[in-house]
Amino acid sequence: MLPAHPPTGREVDVRGPRAAAWVTSAVLAVALLTGSGVLVALQAAVFAVGAFAGLRYAPYGVLFRVLVAPRLGPVREREPEAPARFAQLVGLVFAVVGAAGYLSGAPLVGAVATGLALVAALLNAAAGFCLGCELYLTVRRARPARTT
Amino acid sequence: MLGVALALTAVGAWWLRRRDGAVRAAEGGQERTATAVLEGLGVRPGDAELTVVQFSTAFCGPCRATRARLQQLQATRPGLAHVDVDAESHLDAVRELGVRRTPTLFYLDRAGRLIGRSSGTPRPEELTRLVEAHVAPAPARDGGGL
Repeated sequence: MLPAHPPTGREVDVRGPRAAAWVTSAVLAVALLTGSGVLVALQAAVFAVGAFAGLRYAPYGVLFRVLVAPRLGPVREREPEAPARFAQLVGLVFAVVGAAGYLSGAPLVGAVATGLALVAALLNAAAGFCLGCELYLTVRRARPARTT
Repeated sequence: MLGVALALTAVGAWWLRRRDGAVRAAEGGQERTATAVLEGLGVRPGDAELTVVQFSTAFCGPCRATRARLQQLQATRPGLAHVDVDAESHLDAVRELGVRRTPTLFYLDRAGRLIGRSSGTPRPEELTRLVEAHVAPAPARDGGGL
């Protein structure tokens, strides 16, 4: 039995992405310690699912909903899905660079990219600060203005 | 490398605690430009005792909470005006005003003077204090008192 779905697919329980960020942090920390490109690549795949298929299908989110959420009691607060989903995309970019670095014999590139992804994930997990979301406007600003 | 990442995170978290949501005074010279740019967006500070202009994007979690908080304050302080600006469709203004993050809020008094600005979720007590300092409760009285 699946727990009840949110009323619309566009909102998620705020605790979900936060819990997922802790798992992501742990995975990336282990990857950094072991220098494992395969582990970073796996994390990249996890990011890709969240970014492209939606948080509803994101592996850590599913784990949270099935294993953790039922024990925590009712959902108190929901948030729009779009920001967290965009953050997954930013995480994906870093993880892809990190995995490519490790696997192609450039461990420094791998470690720096993985380290940055870890910083972003930890800030999200510990401080509730979504670095990927914040970057959105910075990226949009950098592009030439063509809104007509 | 893990140590570096942890240290960076700690610095980031510390910086956020100090800066995030805190209202800063406008820097000299910036005030006039800011008011002119905001008025160019259709903001009319003369219509309210305090006008809060909020820059938001679709990819911004705290924007919604900030909006809700301001609307809640408006219920008891009718002299408070809230204008929500979609940052993406006003990128020129975003650049001129130096908006780097969302939500970024600009606080204007009735004379159009920029009282301050803040980025990130505003701190509840500070926001309430600011609103209470500039907006009279219930029916707004005209002119006079400080």
